[in-house]
Amino acid sequence: MSQSLEKDGLQEILDIAMSHGGDFADIYIEKKALNGIGCEDNKIERINSGTDAGAGIRVIAGDSTAYAYTNDVSFDGLAHAARVASHGARGDQVRKSRDLSTPLAPVDLSVQLRPDEVAIEKKVEKVLAANQHARTLDDRIKQVTVGFGDIIQQVTIANTEGVFVEDERIRSRFIVHAVAADGSLIQTGYEALGGSVGFEIFEEEAPEDIAQKAVDRALLMLEAKPAPSGTMPVVMAAEAGGTMVHEACGHGLEADLVQKGLSVYGGQKGQEVASPLVTVIDDGTIRGKYGTIRFDDEGTKGQKNVLIEKGVLKEFMYDRFTASKEKRESTGNGRRESYQHKPVPRMTNTLIAAGDEDPSAIIKDTKEGLLVKKMGGGQVNTTNGDFVFDVAEGYIIKDGEIVHAVRGATLTGNGPEVLRKVDRVGKDLGYAIGTCGKEGQGVPVSDAQPTMRIQSLIVGGTGGAPDSPNKKLPALANILSDGTPRIRRL
Amino acid sequence: MSRIDMGTITRKMVELAQQKGAEMSEAYGLDARELSIDVSQGVVETMKLAEDRGVGLRIFKKGRMGYAYTSDLDEKVLESTVERAIANAVWTGEDPYHVLPSKVEAYPHVDTFDPEISKTAVEEKINLAKEIEAAARATDERVKITERSNYQDAEYTVSIVNSRGIDASYRGAYCGAYAYLVAEENGENQTGFALSYGLRFSDIDPTKVGQEAANKAVRMLGAKRIASKRMPVLLDPYVVTQFMGILTPALTAEAVQKGKSPLAGKKDQIVASDILTLVDDGRLEGRIASAPFDGEGVPSSRTVLIEDGILKNYLHNSYTARKEGAISTGNGTRGSFRGTPEVGTTNFYLQAGQETQEGLMAGIDYGFYVTEVMGMHTANPISGDFSIGASGLLIEKGRLTTPVRGVAIAGNLMELLQNIDGIGNDLTFFVGKGAPTVRITSLPVSGD
Repeated sequence: MSQSLEKDGLQEILDIAMSHGGDFADIYIEKKALNGIGCEDNKIERINSGTDAGAGIRVIAGDSTAYAYTNDVSFDGLAHAARVASHGARGDQVRKSRDLSTPLAPVDLSVQLRPDEVAIEKKVEKVLAANQHARTLDDRIKQVTVGFGDIIQQVTIANTEGVFVEDERIRSRFIVHAVAADGSLIQTGYEALGGSVGFEIFEEEAPEDIAQKAVDRALLMLEAKPAPSGTMPVVMAAEAGGTMVHEACGHGLEADLVQKGLSVYGGQKGQEVASPLVTVIDDGTIRGKYGTIRFDDEGTKGQKNVLIEKGVLKEFMYDRFTASKEKRESTGNGRRESYQHKPVPRMTNTLIAAGDEDPSAIIKDTKEGLLVKKMGGGQVNTTNGDFVFDVAEGYIIKDGEIVHAVRGATLTGNGPEVLRKVDRVGKDLGYAIGTCGKEGQGVPVSDAQPTMRIQSLIVGGTGGAPDSPNKKLPALANILSDGTPRIRRL
Repeated sequence: MSRIDMGTITRKMVELAQQKGAEMSEAYGLDARELSIDVSQGVVETMKLAEDRGVGLRIFKKGRMGYAYTSDLDEKVLESTVERAIANAVWTGEDPYHVLPSKVEAYPHVDTFDPEISKTAVEEKINLAKEIEAAARATDERVKITERSNYQDAEYTVSIVNSRGIDASYRGAYCGAYAYLVAEENGENQTGFALSYGLRFSDIDPTKVGQEAANKAVRMLGAKRIASKRMPVLLDPYVVTQFMGILTPALTAEAVQKGKSPLAGKKDQIVASDILTLVDDGRLEGRIASAPFDGEGVPSSRTVLIEDGILKNYLHNSYTARKEGAISTGNGTRGSFRGTPEVGTTNFYLQAGQETQEGLMAGIDYGFYVTEVMGMHTANPISGDFSIGASGLLIEKGRLTTPVRGVAIAGNLMELLQNIDGIGNDLTFFVGKGAPTVRITSLPVSGD
């Protein structure tokens, strides 16, 4: 590859991009070195190393955006992409870009052990350690999949407003997936660890411990009873992670969706949208977390943004484009999957802030309901606020005690409705990592929440009501339909 | 701008890999151009133009596989990519079934390239996206927001070279359009979408896409939850294809061999209702996933997976086929040069039945027509368990009545297959998957 471009070269490219007029242009040059190790069937099946290089040029003129990208990151390659983009969005006036200068990074993200300084066999060792441990734990474990991935991403970002950022992001993740079988019953368990860290990731948790958690979950699900279906109180443990906050309100607080009229939270700044116990924060500056950023993918510093404060909607998440529409600053949420995508407002690390209650008291005070100890994936329709997420580990609570595990549950609700129904918030906080998809772009994020209770939520399961009818619950009456499943009705 | 021919690059990589000690090697090159246009309120919101190319190298040494890829085609980087693939093969597990396909005398003729796509001016493509939006807004005045009205096309060349004599390439192109819309009434917003993807530019009917998306959004206005009940369920073709996505892994020989398929050991047994036939066809005319060969250079073929409810075949790539003495079905699929070929579907469809949608509904006294599901990615492809959010329309006395949203449906995919009691004649393709409307005897619907 040709040597990286100097400032003067970048400035020249920006001028080409703006040559047919426009309000704004930027360059995003990316170089990634990735490693992936996959183990299944008791052996290392694949090791994949990749080099990905490319650049995207964006030109904004009024409400139109032109975006061109190429694998050719030489000056000529970028100049060609800039010309293509300049034709795609044209403005009335040709602006010269400002002189490029570099803002200061707000957060230190240096890692202890760079992935490119650790030999591949060291990484293979960790994968094999998890695999071997998982396979010795129980005869019912029939298959174990272990995945390890690390990435070094180097980016150069420059724009006509004078921002010039050169950044390096390093992330590592480790995933164990276990399949357990008992007769014809097959169940799975999963555990993942990841962060903006290097090979020191295993100091946080050993591969064997991650394997143990995945195996325990798979075995537990073998013993679990089918989840009930109907409406019931739901307690979410802190360790469940934050899929709920991500789906129930996170996406609806992204400014592009709000501005287009695609969010239930649109036009509600300053209004109460949640229980006063709920404070929602998106914080890109928490050291080491999977969604942490020094700069976003437009060169804006990562920030801590309080989105909902004690139930009142305070702020949305903005990138440059949505911010400029409201003549304000970006909140540092302009992110993209790669040079192949234009940035859009995205979450970083999103959390519901901890309250002050003892988590165990929340369970103790719950007469009947579902305890969610681990959440799976989720999805939301931001336009009407309806969301759904999967329960990877759940239990029935009865008279304040955890009775037994359930499998196959999904929670369905409506964002604003559910946030208003939060009536208990614990003082703990637990994180989970994920890849968040929007407009076909996946970006690394993390979510967190304390132990909390939602007064009522729809549980979609296959097993009808729990063992005994919930006559004790006020407002809950049981009806019997079609003989088979017992269904509860609010 | 001049481009180095991908055939030359892939040939050179294989040669270099063999020189550096690989026993077998394979290079897969992709050279693609893409155009995507988003229109909203009659204005081009985003126009994206892209060039993407790169090469992935798979090598085998002492029964071990190593993989590396690069999108940087500089000579030095290509060489280091070869070296990394070989280095990676030191640490993977030894496996006697690793194999690359040998030279193929002739590939089937599959038409994958419509020259009209690249000949058509960008302005015309922009107009197409605008027409979709205009058609949607003309359908109903309650259609007030266009999240996106999109036209998209791509033109690409796939090159594959291996050390056993395969040296092939083909040129393909596809195009498509979709619309995401919002209908608004009394402060309530509901979404609707429609899409059309294919190999021919002339096959896109913007009016149809716009009207369909608009009707879908408008009919959901006023949607409410319903009471929990077990009831007959009708699944819209798009929803059926989403279920098929969860079924795909179970039909791969890879999952079967690893004990991860609920269909393992069930060949020639009844696994579904006798009216269900599922087919994968990599040569299907005019369909987007058609190609002369798969990601390993094996000729594409038609594979009947389930016929009249009986499991007939699994999907194979070269590796899974060798492991059980079978022949690859040409399903060694790969999304890009960035990964190894896995086992996957091409054009995967559920064969149409005889009944009209009205006919399927006729016998239902109280049921649920599911038009949209949420969280399908959380379903478990190994156990088959699913529990997903759903919305759609209520069926009362054989007719669609009020819209329903925010409920959940749950069950097990293997049981669902057995409980199909009606299949429509309206087979519709959504990119690589196709299905007609399907009726399920009953499913638990969780609501209030």
